[in-house]
Amino acid sequence: MKLKKLISNTEEFLNSDKRKRKEKKKYLKQVLKELRQYEEALCIRLETETDPETIEKLNRKKALAHQQRKKGVSLLKELKKET
Amino acid sequence: MLRKILLPTILAVLAYGFWLSPDFKQISAGVAIFLFGMLSLEQGFKAFTGGRLENLLRHSTNSYFKSLGFGALTTSIMQSSSLVSVITISFISAGLVSLTAGVGIIFGANLGTTTGAWLIAGFGLKVKISAYAMPMIVFGVILIFQKSKNLKGFGYVLTGLGFLFLGIHYMKEGFEAFKDTIDLKDYAVSGYPGVFLFVLLGLIATVIMQSSHATLVLTITALAAHQITYENGLALAIGANIGTTVTAIIGSLSANVDGRRLAGAHLLFNMVTAAIAIALIYPLTDFVDSISRWVGIADDNYTLKLAVFHTVFNVIGVLVMSPFINAMVRFLENIMPPRIRTSAQAQYLHDASIEFPETAIEAVRKETLHLYDNAFKIITGGIRLRPEWITPAQDIKNRLNLDNRPEPIDINTQYTETVKGLYSQIIDYISRTQTHLTAEQTDELFGLRSAGQDIVEVIKDISHLRKNLDKYLVSPNPAIKREYAEIRTQLASILHTLAVVREQGNDSTAILSLDELQHEARERHHRLTGKMDKLIRNNQITAEMATSLMNDSHYAYDAAINLIEIGRLLFSTGDINIRSAERALSLEEHEIEEALLTPQEKP
Repeated sequence: MKLKKLISNTEEFLNSDKRKRKEKKKYLKQVLKELRQYEEALCIRLETETDPETIEKLNRKKALAHQQRKKGVSLLKELKKET
Repeated sequence: MLRKILLPTILAVLAYGFWLSPDFKQISAGVAIFLFGMLSLEQGFKAFTGGRLENLLRHSTNSYFKSLGFGALTTSIMQSSSLVSVITISFISAGLVSLTAGVGIIFGANLGTTTGAWLIAGFGLKVKISAYAMPMIVFGVILIFQKSKNLKGFGYVLTGLGFLFLGIHYMKEGFEAFKDTIDLKDYAVSGYPGVFLFVLLGLIATVIMQSSHATLVLTITALAAHQITYENGLALAIGANIGTTVTAIIGSLSANVDGRRLAGAHLLFNMVTAAIAIALIYPLTDFVDSISRWVGIADDNYTLKLAVFHTVFNVIGVLVMSPFINAMVRFLENIMPPRIRTSAQAQYLHDASIEFPETAIEAVRKETLHLYDNAFKIITGGIRLRPEWITPAQDIKNRLNLDNRPEPIDINTQYTETVKGLYSQIIDYISRTQTHLTAEQTDELFGLRSAGQDIVEVIKDISHLRKNLDKYLVSPNPAIKREYAEIRTQLASILHTLAVVREQGNDSTAILSLDELQHEARERHHRLTGKMDKLIRNNQITAEMATSLMNDSHYAYDAAINLIEIGRLLFSTGDINIRSAERALSLEEHEIEEALLTPQEKP
């Protein structure tokens, strides 16, 4: 098992494309996590908000953050497929 | 004059020496091969500086001890304090690290460089290292021919190490053979005259070879062959420590004032350390003897004792100088005051950073932000606002009162004085940086260049817009006055939102919120176009006013879109990978529209 891991690590080091994809995935996940937390925070604010104008604004922000996450998840899937 | 005759003289002396003694030729060849190995090693490590080292720096230089550790560790790995100091100077020039952190790194580098003497004395002389050198060079050269940047870098490191080993081998062999014909020990000088003479010799040798490592290797191999006395060897090591600062001084010539201060700190540290070592050389020798005995080094093992001495006097240097680090920084700031720079001059673009792509990119980003700050004054002035009104803390609505407008500014003059020249300097720097870049780094630089272009475009848009804005903001026609006031409010609101986003540059969601701002700008522009038809139909504005409003709303919309794009490209403070992820997630207009469809509108 250890040898297998060593071979895979060496292969990854030598294969710059694979390494780049892995790095891309890592950072994409990091930004997606931030977006998820942001969306959750918006949901919490929406639960207590009563002003219709603010509600509309918050809903718009939430919809856009959700769309960005959706885009990110499909990008992540593509990257996973390539590896 | 001296420069012109120096090189031919050195070459002539060497040639004469080679003719006289084949052993001297072998030692010199050893030094040359060793130095070539150092160059190859540096080349290899430079391949790894792209991103990783910078990331490490961000997290490792926020305290003095972390900086010290970073300097010691990187120098131990790279085995070149010169490379570490030159990289640190480039980081300081690009504004990546503070002077205090830089001084910490340099102090640490002095500690790290002592591992070299241990490696050579402990390993290099005991093992037949030439046996390792040959395969290293062969494998290294094969790797250098590979396409992958990492493999190439690894190849250079391996070849470099191979040549270092081979160089040490030739020096060792040369000295061994040398002692059969001539005994250099006959020229040994004892007492303080000898200390001063050999410190000077060590200094000169290091300045010529540009490597304290090479001087140390030469000293250790000569010491192993009993060609110099232990006492003179110690003095040579002290001299090498002073000589190594020359590389940093040369590197700082193309750096900013902080880079020069850092080279000054390096010189000061090594001079003080050397002064202590010279003054206390005899007590220190006794101290080294005690330590050596304690760790089990034989009394006659002078090479390892030299390594102990080298470590001891550098540690003493760090211990003595560390409490005075802030005083030293203040002293250097006093004797090297910053050059007065006008806002039109570049602050971050220095040749010292150009060799290191990630550092150069950060320098360009900061300089483009500086360009934006200069342009910001023109843009706000163009729409008759004061720049200090548009800060995250200010409520912009209170500042939009039309009766409270500042005097108009001369956009063309301000553009020529504060933007045009700086923009040219950025373009020139970018074009000189574009060597040895990865595809991602090229994209990043391309983005930054286009941010600069966007800044210039915004100024042009504002310049076109301002004539009618000035005219209609005081028009007796309330309808046209209202529309122009609305354009001004929109631009001010976008500038304000951008100021808020800039403050939260490390938050990806803030950068991504610019998608919403862009959508709002587009919506407003469409609304205004629709409203304009109504105003004409109802005879609220004349045809001439309508034409002006139509053109100017386009200029305002263009300016808004360009400003938002500038925010996307410049404000994120994350590293290159985070910025790339943010760009990948940013939505196209059709994606925004799809996201904002109501449940009934969705297919």
